[in-house]
Amino acid sequence: MERAILLADDDELLGSLLTFRLKKAGYLVHHVRDGKEVKEFLSHTKPDLIVSDIMMPYFSGIELINYVRNELLLQIPIIIISSAGNEENVLSAFELGASDFISKPVSPSELLVRIARELNKTTI
Amino acid sequence: MPKLKTRDLLGQLSDLEVTLNGFSYEELNAEEAKELKKSFNRFKSQLSDRIFGSDRSEINEPVIEDNSQLKVGNGNKLIAHASHEIRTPLNGIIGFTNLLKEEELTPSQFKKVDAIQTASQSLMEIINEILEYSKLTAGVEGFDAIDFNFHALIKDVMFLCQTLIMDKSVSLKVAIAPNVPKVLLGDPSKLSQVLLNILGNAIKFVEKGHIKLGVELKNVKEETFVLQFSIEDTGIGMSKEQLEIVFDSYQQAEKSTFKKYGGTGLGLSIVKEIITNQGGTINVKSILGSGTTFEFFIPFKKGNINNIPKNKQKTISVSQGRKLLGGTRILVFEDNELNQHLIGEQLRKWDCKTFVTASAKEGISILNDENIDIILMDLKMPEMNGFEISKTIRSIENKKISQIPIIAFSADFTAQDQEFCYAAGINDFLLKPYTLNELMIKLLKRKKERNLSQATLELLKQETISNNESDHVDLSQVLQECYGEIDMLEELIRLFKQNIYEFIGAVKIGISNENFDDIYKAAHKIKAGLALMHTNDLKSLIIGIEENCKMEKMESINGLFKQFLNLYPKKETLIDIEFEKLKQA
Repeated sequence: MERAILLADDDELLGSLLTFRLKKAGYLVHHVRDGKEVKEFLSHTKPDLIVSDIMMPYFSGIELINYVRNELLLQIPIIIISSAGNEENVLSAFELGASDFISKPVSPSELLVRIARELNKTTI
Repeated sequence: MPKLKTRDLLGQLSDLEVTLNGFSYEELNAEEAKELKKSFNRFKSQLSDRIFGSDRSEINEPVIEDNSQLKVGNGNKLIAHASHEIRTPLNGIIGFTNLLKEEELTPSQFKKVDAIQTASQSLMEIINEILEYSKLTAGVEGFDAIDFNFHALIKDVMFLCQTLIMDKSVSLKVAIAPNVPKVLLGDPSKLSQVLLNILGNAIKFVEKGHIKLGVELKNVKEETFVLQFSIEDTGIGMSKEQLEIVFDSYQQAEKSTFKKYGGTGLGLSIVKEIITNQGGTINVKSILGSGTTFEFFIPFKKGNINNIPKNKQKTISVSQGRKLLGGTRILVFEDNELNQHLIGEQLRKWDCKTFVTASAKEGISILNDENIDIILMDLKMPEMNGFEISKTIRSIENKKISQIPIIAFSADFTAQDQEFCYAAGINDFLLKPYTLNELMIKLLKRKKERNLSQATLELLKQETISNNESDHVDLSQVLQECYGEIDMLEELIRLFKQNIYEFIGAVKIGISNENFDDIYKAAHKIKAGLALMHTNDLKSLIIGIEENCKMEKMESINGLFKQFLNLYPKKETLIDIEFEKLKQA
């Protein structure tokens, strides 16, 4: 069965490349650009995994983790994309329940490996 | 989401649709063909939602089975699209009528051409109103949620209304309850539109007496503050029958009364839509012959003063304004009569010598005859748009004229528009509705910086590229990331350029507003893309800009940004060349 991934990133360029690569890898991908769209999507669909940038309009990656874990009470894996110099945010992301993180510049291949690893964990 | 060129895109889609309809489905079975059409329709309507900024685009929406249902649901959207389409040929009619008027016509011919012109211009106004109304009712018109200074907004609105009263013996009063928050979160431009519309109507119909605006805090629920606005006038009032239809579309209370003021009578319907779309309500009470009271409620959230850009909080008094700007000669290109009046009034308060025109040709002859210091340009002009007029002015041989600073104003700017502004030689811009202080600050800047603005122009001309550039761009790695799919690479390059243009626009605005936060955000956002395209020299400039934002060093930011503007066009050419090579390979 195809796994569904919610990709939250306000950068069109990186977002497009990642969407392309994830689709090629056989995932169903939904790309949203800000926190409002994240909430809207999660209100009707439960993805198997979320990849989210840490800095986004309306709603940061940190808020997203908090929302998913503490309001929606979902335990699906969340992978955070962080930028250099944001180490503190990464720590709070982990505290709130992020499953993994990847630093910018993002290597799509590395992200694919990390996604596969997280999804395998959940199937076991 | 950047605004796309809607018309182009929709045009292409329609072409596609026609092709699709005429396509022979021999190879597909009926079921597949139906599915294909359906998914195309869904795609199209989602796309138009995106373009028009609707946040209602549903992702997993059920496929609409019946085609007619789709049409009904999108009825108003179709009107919105159609109105856009009507404007283009109408612009042509107006333009050619103007040209015709310049020919040698007999007095009777001239009169007829004049009548065509008047009729087509009022048609244009009507279409604009219908467009706005149908956008609102179709829910495709988005609302802002931004922090704004409520008291300052009321003050500006009242000032504008005061200028409309002119010599009538009407007093304008305002009372804001002390418990109304100073800073709110909501849509300030829509609120001003509503207030100006209702107050503007009152001013038209009150010959003597008063107009009173009252604002009270109706109730507070959790974080929502419901404000109650009441606008009471001692005007001609309305009969019961008139009251019943006052908010209906296409109804005008008294045709002859409204004739003088033009419009479609959609004004109050638009007001009602704006209010109800924000979760508010409006009602009206009136006694024929003695006056009318409009009352409306809008829920707001409490705002945060720190989110309001600092320069908007600066205030300059009228007398200060006179000292600073008195005697400045300003030419205003503006086609809307109300706005013509308003801006003329504002500038006269500051003792500026003001010339207002709705015609490009007339404007240029004013430039030749009068010694103009600054040009204010509405981007939406009837015959030539503001960009075109600006380009024409910049191409005038007399340098004294071609170098006059131009400040553009528009109700909606996209980053792309801002880039177009610079390309057309426009030096600065103001977003409508602007406060008087914003207008003042922009004018002062331009008055002082006539030389600097020329430097900006020079900078833009430097886009000629030397061929012996030793630097080189490597896209093969990016192509690998795209699994060798050249189309995907092309798409990424397109997005890359778009990101850069948005960045350039955002930073230019950030620099002119001295908003370090906005510059930082723009720089941060673009970093990933620069890394992706392996343009490390651009990236190091961006990191420099980021660092200097943290230290609030505007001069260094300016320097780095100029370097970026210098370097980027060369990079873009290299990327294009490299892409062509990979495509041929």
